[in-house]
Amino acid sequence: MNAAVLTLLIAAVPAFVASVVEWVEAFTIVLAVGNTRGWRSPLWGTAAAMGTLAVIVGVFGTPLIIYHEQVSQSFHIVVGVLLLLFGMRWLRKAILRFSGIIAIHDEELIYQREVAELRAAGQANRRWDNIGFWFSYKAVLLEGLEVAFIVIALGAQGGPALQAAVLGATAALLVTILLGTMLHRPLTIVPENFMKFVVGAMLTSFGIFWGAEGMEVHWPFDASSLLVILAGVCLTSWIAVRMLALIAPQGARVAARNI
Amino acid sequence: MRVLAAAWEQIYGLLVEDGQIAIGTLIAFVATAIYAYVVGDELRNSAGWLLFTLLMALLLVNLFNTGRKAYAERTHH
Repeated sequence: MNAAVLTLLIAAVPAFVASVVEWVEAFTIVLAVGNTRGWRSPLWGTAAAMGTLAVIVGVFGTPLIIYHEQVSQSFHIVVGVLLLLFGMRWLRKAILRFSGIIAIHDEELIYQREVAELRAAGQANRRWDNIGFWFSYKAVLLEGLEVAFIVIALGAQGGPALQAAVLGATAALLVTILLGTMLHRPLTIVPENFMKFVVGAMLTSFGIFWGAEGMEVHWPFDASSLLVILAGVCLTSWIAVRMLALIAPQGARVAARNI
Repeated sequence: MRVLAAAWEQIYGLLVEDGQIAIGTLIAFVATAIYAYVVGDELRNSAGWLLFTLLMALLLVNLFNTGRKAYAERTHH
């Protein structure tokens, strides 16, 4: 495969998968607000949060493009460490969920909880609903921050990579909006835990690859080594799931917390 | 201010959820960097695989401890 195409795929695919997970979580809350308090304010809140996220990506992403060549090695180290911290966190949580140690993320349950909280807040103002606006703004901004972080980290390889990561995140947003508009209910059909596992494994692999490159390490098959690292991460995860099944057998697992 | 505080909490939470994993990752990274610096050009390329091994070992140890703790909590109750 062409090296340039591979670089773009490395940025776009994880950005897309990770963003779908985050946009689905944000969608659940916006849907809860819209269905309980009307749609006008939450839609404005969503638009304002998207604008804030665009500014964040612009502010932190633009220097990456401008100064990429001058500080390439430092970027590799910083981005490698950030991706590792982020990827290991997602990987760990996904493995714990696969093993039944912590509960699977339940969008339907979260939706019901949000609806109850919003109803308890009282009647919405017909013209402008501050609660609806800020609830949606906060939800989209907080979930979107994870998207922005992934886009910036994956785009740190330069202009084309940043564009590919932004494209992946935008495509994920459009898919979520399309699905949400069609179904008009929480998107429980999206296999969030599996997707989080995929993203965790990918980000950890990229973190190892780029972090080592920052130490002037040359991988034996260049970017193709990523596939070997990814396979190793998946194998370790499978071993971890088997190990946890032995440590905490069925019936002795803790599934009380919904994280 | 509350939104900013929540945003900061979110950013911190993005990277640090389990202290052992976060600190262990940083230690593995620094140890690998020292190794790559000390061993010189001939062995430097093995540093990538060292980083991979350290991180996967960290993940397994952390999950083993978490699993044992969860099991102990569950059986205790």
